[in-house]
Amino acid sequence: MTRRIIHHPVLDRIDETDTVSFTFDNKKYKALRDESLAAALLANGIRTLRHHEEFGTPRGIYCNIGHCFECRVTVDGVQGVRACLTPIQEGMDVTSGDKLLTSVRDWRANNE
Amino acid sequence: MIICRCEEVTYGELVETADKYGCSPRELKLRTRAGMGYCGGRTCRNAVDSIAHSSTKRDVSQITLKYQPPIRPISFSKLGGVGNND
Amino acid sequence: MSKVIIIGAGPAGLSAAITIAENGLNVLVIDEYMKPGGRLLGQLYEEPNGNWWNGIKESQNLFDKAVSTGVEIKLQTPVSNIEESNGIWNVYTEDEVYTTSHLLLATGAAEAPLPIPGWTLPGVMSVGAAQVMTNVHRVKPGERGVIVGVNVLSSAIAMELKLAGIDVAAITLPKMNMVTKESGNPLDVMNSLLHVSHMAPSAFVKMGSKLMKNDFLKRMGITFFPKNGVKMWDIPIMLRKAVVEIYGESQVEGVTIATISPSGDIIPGTEENIAADFVCIAGGLYPLAELAAVAGCPFYHVEELGGYVPLHNERMETVLEGLYVAGNITGIEGAKVAISQGVTAGLAIVNSTDGGKQEAKLNDSIKAIEETRNKAYIQFHPDVKAGKQKLQNYWNEHWKAVVSQ
Repeated sequence: MTRRIIHHPVLDRIDETDTVSFTFDNKKYKALRDESLAAALLANGIRTLRHHEEFGTPRGIYCNIGHCFECRVTVDGVQGVRACLTPIQEGMDVTSGDKLLTSVRDWRANNE
Repeated sequence: MIICRCEEVTYGELVETADKYGCSPRELKLRTRAGMGYCGGRTCRNAVDSIAHSSTKRDVSQITLKYQPPIRPISFSKLGGVGNND
Repeated sequence: MSKVIIIGAGPAGLSAAITIAENGLNVLVIDEYMKPGGRLLGQLYEEPNGNWWNGIKESQNLFDKAVSTGVEIKLQTPVSNIEESNGIWNVYTEDEVYTTSHLLLATGAAEAPLPIPGWTLPGVMSVGAAQVMTNVHRVKPGERGVIVGVNVLSSAIAMELKLAGIDVAAITLPKMNMVTKESGNPLDVMNSLLHVSHMAPSAFVKMGSKLMKNDFLKRMGITFFPKNGVKMWDIPIMLRKAVVEIYGESQVEGVTIATISPSGDIIPGTEENIAADFVCIAGGLYPLAELAAVAGCPFYHVEELGGYVPLHNERMETVLEGLYVAGNITGIEGAKVAISQGVTAGLAIVNSTDGGKQEAKLNDSIKAIEETRNKAYIQFHPDVKAGKQKLQNYWNEHWKAVVSQ
């Protein structure tokens, strides 16, 4: 976990020993207890949290404070959960969102 | 260049639409879907506003892009109370 | 009477809650974030007296005080709507509808973007996001970043990133277009920076700001502004370069910058790449007033306050019965002003329930806001007072119109 700022010249040192495990797209990762899911993913070097439903472009954390909904993921089967507002929990099963089919539109584009 | 991240509406599309129709911000939004996505326009509303206000004058006493409840996405079951009595 | 409800557990919401609870009323504070403190949490800067303003500690103090005075705080609870019926405000959350006769909106501010080609790539985030990641979550937003947008907030956060050992390659302007406007115009940016020059650690900038009292000198200043920027905390601040694109295959790999003319036009052929694994967009804050809007408050656009603001008076009352506002929803200012406004809103609420016994305290608290504003170290807009005056005039006009109807 090299991305963590353990020591800080002004702020208190953080405790990196109390960890929990979670999965993101079926891979197992470690997080610090009670941190946000967004922080846990970034600390593990994961920047892409989902792909745009329609265009498939990769997206990650943008506002980190619940306003933009860019970091929405599926947590334990619940869709549209904002990673930046979600405290991580032991055993959490997180999946990213993927591009969805746009069959009708694609058919139209090719046939009209 | 994308302006509305949720609906992937581009700057070019917005400027062209604003030029063509002399749109108010609201009309620009309705014509392009900018600001009508998942986040409710929280991220791009000022940008859409700015583009529209290059061809129309701002009315300082009216919010140009109206807010509608719910201001956070809610699942239909929670909204309609369906399934709450299961 | 019913519990007072406050939406927003930032500095304004918590200080209002404490004020109300100290006067013996029950209070419920609702916030969608997982920690109390709002945007105060991320703040970290050294004050002129050498003390550090540590947002985490300040938030903790407010939270502890609120809890000890009996305030109930519900975190992780987004409010999706508010609605008044028969003098009662309904507050809709996902699982419950709360009701109250006195509702305070302390929902703070949201960040406005500076759209740049490539800004949807993972690794591009608002400057506030990088601040929270660094100071609150203690995770580096990346190893090396570029900050787009030169303003008070972005320079303060650049320093915070630096403090945490994160390399900031440059703070620079966005390419000028209809959206970025003043943020992409070197002369406008320079103007807006001059009023905060007291914060500049560089003697060069301080001295420069004294010299640049008139427009001619300002134009000269920007014309001869070093192309590679002036360093602040060892970070180049580039007023004569603009980011034209953020590039990367599946995430940020760097930005392309180009030299711009004093009026912001790109000089062709000057493009160069800066490698970076994250980019911060600093488009400034605007009042987050969506709940006041759905409630039906009249609004006014006041540039000096950061955008559309719900009409309110100096007692933090809106024109709607039982609906109050405090903090950045009333205009973009620092946390200390928000705390003062929270006290006033709290007293106004108490005053309306006890037959006006708080009048004297209330008037004192209004003066205290003004004093806090005067002493503020960071001012987001140089003419915030003029903005407040405009709003007061709109308030007076509003009631005149109501009376004459």
